[in-house]
Amino acid sequence: MAPPFHHEDIFQLVREPIDLRALIEHVRAPGDGAIVTFDGFVRNQSHNRATLYLDYEAYESMALVKMREIAAQLHEKYGIHRVAIVHRLGHLEIGETSVFIAVSAPHRAAAFDACRFAIDTLKRTVPIWKKEYFEDGAVWADGELPPAPLATPRAKPAS
Amino acid sequence: MFRGALAGFLRSRYNLAVAPVSRTVRVKVLFFGRLKDVVGHSQESLNLADAVTIEQLFAVYAARTPELAQYRSSVVASRNQEFAAWDTVLYPGDEVAFLPPVSGG
Repeated sequence: MAPPFHHEDIFQLVREPIDLRALIEHVRAPGDGAIVTFDGFVRNQSHNRATLYLDYEAYESMALVKMREIAAQLHEKYGIHRVAIVHRLGHLEIGETSVFIAVSAPHRAAAFDACRFAIDTLKRTVPIWKKEYFEDGAVWADGELPPAPLATPRAKPAS
Repeated sequence: MFRGALAGFLRSRYNLAVAPVSRTVRVKVLFFGRLKDVVGHSQESLNLADAVTIEQLFAVYAARTPELAQYRSSVVASRNQEFAAWDTVLYPGDEVAFLPPVSGG
């Protein structure tokens, strides 16, 4: 029993600046009364070292699968209307948006909760990596190890 | 397995030389982030013996690039775009990826 409007959700990995306004307009509909957005952008420092720029890469096919799964959970858990999740890849300068999430719902509580859940889950489960460039070198950012199954389920014995 | 047994039987019983048939499994293997830097490439296709697990596949690369072994505890694996357990057995055409901790957002 699929919740309605899934086909109107947006999931994208892009290499150009993200058009925030267009995404907000996309999730906005007459039946809604609230949109909550998350705008993640490039900070000018990391652990007190001045950042020059970032470079993002993704396992693109899997990242899109995982972004879709997040949206499905949002519809199921929070009853939201539409969601847009867009992550930028490649070279990003300080202040540029790396990830943008917009969620619409009839009421604000669901929209806030869903948006928070979406960014938290994205950061833990979507296969995207960022490399931080400094004056004196570059490092892959510390990240979170996604939860993975510990063992394959045992095959049922033949009866 | 069956063909191997058959070949052995034919060889012993009838002294027939039957070429051993070892089934191979061709998989695509991907590395990302720091793992890509360690192994020196992002993807390749590999022929494996039958019934190899993701754990054994990782060991193949760790044997080639010993530095990789130290990352074992901070890597998750995926099979066909889904997170997968290390004891997952691979099938022909599978796409396996080794993923370091993710840092999107």
